[in-house]
Amino acid sequence: MAKAQKFAVVGQRVHRVEGFDKVCGEAKYIADIYLPGMLVGKILRSPYPHARILRIDTSRAVRLPGVRAVVTAEDTIKRPWGAFFADQYILSLHKARYVGEEVAAVAAIDSDTAEEAIDLIDVEWEPLAAVFDAEAAMQQGAPLVHEDKERNIAMTMDIERGDVERAFAESDVVIEDTYQSMPQWHCAIETIGSVAEYGPNGKYTIYMNTQTLFNARYRIATALGVRESDIRIVQSAVGGGFGGKSCDDNNALVAAVLARKAKKPVKIINTREEEFLAGSRPRVFMKINVRLGFMKDGRIRGKHIRVIADNGAYSAKAPAITGVAAMRHDTCYKYTDVKTQAYLVYTNKIPTGAFRGFGNPSAEWAVEQAIDKGAHELGIDPVELARINAAEPGYVSPHGNRVQSCELKQCIDLAAKMMDWPKKRTEKKPNTGLGLACTVHVSGKRHFGDYDGSSATIKINEDGKALILSGEGECGQGVFTVMCQIAAEELGIPVEDVEVSRADTDLTTFCLGAFASRLTYISGNAVKNAATNVKQQLFDQAAEMLEANPEDLVSRDGRISVRGAEGKSITVADVARARLFRHNGAPIVGSGSFDADSVLPDNTRFGNESGAYNYGVQAAHLEVDPETGQVKILKYIIASDCGTVIYPIGAEGQVEGGLSQGIGYALTEGLQFDEGRPLNPNFSDYRIPSMRDMPPLQYAFAESYEPTGPFGAKGLGELNMDPTAAVISNAIFDAVGVRIKDLPITPEKILKALREKPNR
Amino acid sequence: MKKPVTLRVNGEEHELQIEPNRLLLQTLREDVGLTGTKEGCSIGVCGACSVIVDGRLVSSCLTLALACNGKEITTIEGLATDGKLHPLQQAFIEFGGFQCGICTPGQIMAAKALLDENPKPTEEEVKEWMSGNLCRCTGYYKILESVMAVVDNKISPDFQFRKKEQQAKIQSLDVYKSVAKTD
Repeated sequence: MAKAQKFAVVGQRVHRVEGFDKVCGEAKYIADIYLPGMLVGKILRSPYPHARILRIDTSRAVRLPGVRAVVTAEDTIKRPWGAFFADQYILSLHKARYVGEEVAAVAAIDSDTAEEAIDLIDVEWEPLAAVFDAEAAMQQGAPLVHEDKERNIAMTMDIERGDVERAFAESDVVIEDTYQSMPQWHCAIETIGSVAEYGPNGKYTIYMNTQTLFNARYRIATALGVRESDIRIVQSAVGGGFGGKSCDDNNALVAAVLARKAKKPVKIINTREEEFLAGSRPRVFMKINVRLGFMKDGRIRGKHIRVIADNGAYSAKAPAITGVAAMRHDTCYKYTDVKTQAYLVYTNKIPTGAFRGFGNPSAEWAVEQAIDKGAHELGIDPVELARINAAEPGYVSPHGNRVQSCELKQCIDLAAKMMDWPKKRTEKKPNTGLGLACTVHVSGKRHFGDYDGSSATIKINEDGKALILSGEGECGQGVFTVMCQIAAEELGIPVEDVEVSRADTDLTTFCLGAFASRLTYISGNAVKNAATNVKQQLFDQAAEMLEANPEDLVSRDGRISVRGAEGKSITVADVARARLFRHNGAPIVGSGSFDADSVLPDNTRFGNESGAYNYGVQAAHLEVDPETGQVKILKYIIASDCGTVIYPIGAEGQVEGGLSQGIGYALTEGLQFDEGRPLNPNFSDYRIPSMRDMPPLQYAFAESYEPTGPFGAKGLGELNMDPTAAVISNAIFDAVGVRIKDLPITPEKILKALREKPNR
Repeated sequence: MKKPVTLRVNGEEHELQIEPNRLLLQTLREDVGLTGTKEGCSIGVCGACSVIVDGRLVSSCLTLALACNGKEITTIEGLATDGKLHPLQQAFIEFGGFQCGICTPGQIMAAKALLDENPKPTEEEVKEWMSGNLCRCTGYYKILESVMAVVDNKISPDFQFRKKEQQAKIQSLDVYKSVAKTD
């Protein structure tokens, strides 16, 4: 491990750059954008999970005073679009495939008029047989969601590395079990929305609260049948993303189609119910069968995983997510023989998609329970079992993931120490238990073409302040502050003298956006390179002024001087002004880019998918009330390896927030469907954790330095919710001897399992 | 049919004509033009739309604007005076009590309503009170820390947002003056 250097700005508890606006109510989120002449858009949604559209009559809606446009599929180019597979339309074409699908839309002078007009649209439906369960959908003769997809299968995977049957034959203990994960909704407190304008020059300007602007632009261009440059996406403040605002839904597209027809700006903000029905694409539901072979000494010898993943009615990012669920965990522990089989299956439900963790929470729910079960059967302490198998620097996974920095073992030790694990284990009280799980995540993922990069531009103003222009997606996670710290560190100026402009596809650099825990690592490197570029320009100018060689200069705290003669210095402002205000004056503007040293996985999904890998360990000590089935977490521990911590308040926030989503996933969150109709699409019946639900928490960041990261940093955002559900389930097993295999872990399930437990 | 109503919002009087079914949330955002109050769930569960009406915390998404005739309404925009932040606003920045910030106006208004009533609540009392305000980003730890920092008087006395001693002197834009000064 490289020694961490001493930094001036990196690692400081700085103020969040957009903080003032946010605490004053001045930050402008999508709902806060009002344009002159703006109309309100509302959407008619399918009431059926699967139904043919025989006729749509919009004439009564069109005649309603105050209505400016009514649109159906006839107002679109009817070209399918999607992140990986093009299979969804802006508005239903011939049939609808899930409850909530966009069928028609209205733009009107106000919300009441738009809603009234929606009620006046007559649709003649022919309900079709529907299928809601992925396994049922795969049976011969099941209703087809897409006629051209035999047995409703969207994608299959069948990959073997090594010889897994031989590995099991050689194993001393083989564990096999099946686990069911649940969908989970992002529940960002701000729903998805957009404001679209269509100009007479044929250009769309769309204000969006998206976390991935350029990907959004590409998809919108495809669906509208125009070139990328005919669309300008301007990012509003984003009230929480978590993967849900990565433009896999139709909100902005419908607004754009309405704006074009109405020749006025149109705003569509999802209601909370719409957000559950057809907004952010929820975590993919998976049924996971896992078989693990162990040697007596605890080494994992082989792994066979079979995943059946529910794609919903259309493909968002589930094809990539299913791959992660089936394979990513093989970068956490050392073994060579693995077999992975997966089916991604269409059903008549909301399309599933990217949610923090991207397949990892579902897979770890299964695999980390199987490992815990192995520890109990082998009679090895779960902490010891994790340590025996933990990945190390230099590890190459069976799928080709090449690990550089890796402090998983340090994290295991930190977690055990913070938990006081050995003592709690020996002095176990009735109905209390300990659970632990490890996790791995990427820092960026190469899957949108052979590119996982970022770029940034920095300009220096005449007052010496720097402005970063980046097309990456700040969505609340704090990447703006991280970028400011990285630029300030490299430029040698105070962090207060750096600002970031919000992303705008016409003005800021090409970037992929916020996903795969990539921004600190990937865009951080791009910003650092842009700062190096700008610094060179400053030094060239300063060298003339100081009568020195540019190579001999240093900058610190906003002043530039000759190394070793810091007494004689000039300010960055002086240098910038000298460069601007003269004959042939030139701006100080520099760009930088970075692409991870990773490999686009081949058609067997072999290849180093990310430039760096982040590791973590979580542990819980909890108590189960055997009378009520209630779980009380007494203490929770998280140890994370994210390389250098650049923005401590932000990093801590990622850990704390990740845990709350993990606890929700584990214990309370689940949308109930009745024949494809969600029964609880609201915040009173779909319960996310509140302040009193959060347990006592202690956490630490490992001493770690990623050689390819900016100042040694790598990703963190998703790590913190990946293993939580498994940790809690493992601790419940330790406490009362029952293992819950389907999410969420409700008191009812615990009581039922306790009743059915043999030899109670 | 629209009806006249007088609202005192952050000390300023607004005489409005509004429909009887119009919610206080919509009136504040669209008729008064204060968009700091946010809509999260529309059913009074998440607390993003919290404002203080005559000293009481209410969900503006469940409150009819007409019912607030003649009442004193405080929104997030009413807390900072002359650019000086309310102690709770300052604490949320110093202790990281927000990430995306969409629930923050509601969180701060809820905490203010509590501290106005009881300036020295225990941590347990804060947790109980603040459980009506949902946040999906923070896990609540830093929100609790921020509120307790105000209760325990732990916020810094000389707080300035992102302002340090400016190292680079800002000079007048006199382009004829030599700018290549050293010292």
